[in-house]
Amino acid sequence: MRIILVGYGVVGKGVTSILTQRYNEKVKDGFNPKIVAIADIDGAVINPRGLSPEKLDAIKQKGYPISADPEFGVPGIKALDVIKEVEAEVVVEVTPVNIQTAEPAISHITQAFRTGKHVVTTNKGPLALAMPALTELAEYNNVVFRFSGTVGGGTPMLEFAKRCLIGDRILGIKGILNGTTNYILSEMSQNRVSFQDALSSAQKLGYAEREPSMDIDGFDTACKTVILANWILNQKVTLKDVDRVGIRDVTLEMLDEAAKRGNSIKLIGSIDGKNKPTVKPIEIPKTSPLCVSGVLNAVTYQCQFAAEQTIIGRGAGSIETAGAVLRDLLDIRHKLASKLLT
Amino acid sequence: MKIVMKFGGTSVGNGVNIRHVADLVTQYSKDNKVAVVVSALAGVTNSLIETGCQAQRSDEKHIQAFTASLLKKHTDAIAEAITSKTIQKEVTEITEKSIAELEKVLTGICYVGELTPKSKDYVMSFGERLSAPIVCGAIRDYKAQSQFFTGKEAGIVTNSNFGEADPLMNYTTHLLRERLDPVMEQGVIPVVTGFIAANQDGIVTTVGRGGSDYTATILGVALKADEVWIWTDVDGIMTTDPKLVAAARMLPQLSYHEAAEMAIFGAKAMHPRALGPVSKENIPVRIRNTQNPANMGTLITKDPAANETKPVKAVAMIKDVAMVNVYGAAMVGAPGSYAKVFDVLGRNNINVMMISTAVSEANISMIVKRGLLGRAVSNLEIALQERGGLISEVTTEDDVAVIAVMGANMKGSLGVASKIFSTVAGKGINIRMIAQGSSELNISFVVKEKDGAAVVRAIHEEFNLDKA
Repeated sequence: MRIILVGYGVVGKGVTSILTQRYNEKVKDGFNPKIVAIADIDGAVINPRGLSPEKLDAIKQKGYPISADPEFGVPGIKALDVIKEVEAEVVVEVTPVNIQTAEPAISHITQAFRTGKHVVTTNKGPLALAMPALTELAEYNNVVFRFSGTVGGGTPMLEFAKRCLIGDRILGIKGILNGTTNYILSEMSQNRVSFQDALSSAQKLGYAEREPSMDIDGFDTACKTVILANWILNQKVTLKDVDRVGIRDVTLEMLDEAAKRGNSIKLIGSIDGKNKPTVKPIEIPKTSPLCVSGVLNAVTYQCQFAAEQTIIGRGAGSIETAGAVLRDLLDIRHKLASKLLT
Repeated sequence: MKIVMKFGGTSVGNGVNIRHVADLVTQYSKDNKVAVVVSALAGVTNSLIETGCQAQRSDEKHIQAFTASLLKKHTDAIAEAITSKTIQKEVTEITEKSIAELEKVLTGICYVGELTPKSKDYVMSFGERLSAPIVCGAIRDYKAQSQFFTGKEAGIVTNSNFGEADPLMNYTTHLLRERLDPVMEQGVIPVVTGFIAANQDGIVTTVGRGGSDYTATILGVALKADEVWIWTDVDGIMTTDPKLVAAARMLPQLSYHEAAEMAIFGAKAMHPRALGPVSKENIPVRIRNTQNPANMGTLITKDPAANETKPVKAVAMIKDVAMVNVYGAAMVGAPGSYAKVFDVLGRNNINVMMISTAVSEANISMIVKRGLLGRAVSNLEIALQERGGLISEVTTEDDVAVIAVMGANMKGSLGVASKIFSTVAGKGINIRMIAQGSSELNISFVVKEKDGAAVVRAIHEEFNLDKA
């Protein structure tokens, strides 16, 4: 399977390292992922026979863009042109998230669809802003669009609902979908520190960005809630439709009050069949399976037959997320195989 | 309120009418958010198709004369619709540029000698591309802010079914909101070309049947409008053709289903295709008269007011049709025999408007457009009447008309059919053929055309359609 990788940041590197590992083990499961191009903001490296990521890493370590590769580098070429021109089955889109315009990711993805390429992405931006449009466009162009790394990182939260609960009717979804805010809230209640101190500690540990708004104002959780609402509950919603409150105003006193009632305050993304999706800090019982601590994520599906089903996992991390990309690639390969054989 | 307003070809037929449209739009935009959809100036789309076809036959000499007359028509309209010299100049420049482009396209077609569905859509798109800037200029002339968009620029993305393209509705919604919402937020009135759009590669398409009405309802759904107003030259949808029955009355309310049934009323109603998007999202549509804005017209909604309990709401006569009767003992009990009959007609591009058969299976009666009768009969005979073939005889009647009686409340009310048919019998008129769809919204039957008007009048009177 020939792959164009767009974006070579943390997740991109995770993807190349997992895929190289798999490529070297190819005899085992007949899955031969071959990265034929990597595009980033400065240009691209292109080799139809497959690139070796070790060399690229070395170039990047020296502070050069990957397109500086003497053999296969094409400095200045646009990712859009790489997607259009280079022959491949799949485009893996892992550029940084932008929730204002979702660019350039949204252009990359639509370009891939138009040129008949399947797409795997871990980028929440395009999905949060235009998920109904993108799934429709993929279907129209008869290509597969997968994004399991966008919710839960390596934890198969989307597949769990979509596949394992097939036939059941999911009535509502509640989830702790952001590790950073969960870490901060856990820190506050367990170590009795203020919001600011907990945030600084999260930043020191690398859980939170220096500009933490995306996490603590609930945008990241809202993006994931949108994806769940569209993909699992078939609701045509986008980021604008979410009622969103972050955790900036959660105080130690509120946590103490909640604790007296046997509850914890968590930032919960919630969707039911009727109302707008919401993201806000709410009290949940400490005994609930949803009530996980630290950087863990958890999501509870309220099902018609199977009742409450909860899945818990790390929810982030470059290798974990790259693992989700691998799952998606294998899923696409499976779909292609059954198409080619019938 | 957020309103999408569509103005048809007659409403923007000349500069004076365009000025009137601009006046209406500006007035409504004071208390509402308005987006405008416009058709081409009356007659322009047809002349574009005609010239395109001529060009295809390598008939180059007509092109310049045509573009010159097109330029004159539009510059005349500009002069009448817009008073400000600056705006006039701006719009004239745009018009000249578009017409120069059109001339190149037509010349190209002439050299290639081929008018594909794709190039035909491109040629047709010039009609709306020329009208929208003028309407936009006229609105600006009334001191309101306005900006014009082609369907493509606004973000209407369709499949590549040229001539009859359908929107990729979610993608279109995404783009329309991204592009028009911010404009409307700033109080600017967007003027969007009806009928034309583009596929995902940016190649011009047209939406075909339903035309600009379809564009308006697409916009209505995407922009989450409160209502879609279709401005036309009649007060609304009528109980019947006022030329047939002087007492014909405007229907204040209809359901989407009823309105779709009334598409056979022709240009005065809406094509069912155009009602598709709004009926799904439950957005009301109003048919209104540009010359009588005091009248609120016909409101089309999911559930019209419950006090409308009349079983029959409207009656129409469809003329210019013919009946084909196909007989054949070999059809009886033979699976697939009807399919063969309709397959022959379908392959020869003959649309069947109405069907009736008996359980004996030995004959089928059909209604087709009168102009297609010869082709229908000839092809059925050639394909299926060979010795030992499926059918033994084809007979025709070309002096007939279809009478359609419509109303959502017919469903489940007893005796409607009996009342209709005894009314017709009371006039001493014989019924040639009957059909009722399973929706029970419509009973159609066939009489001799000379009796048609009398039947319509009798039914209109019998069911008190002239009274609210």
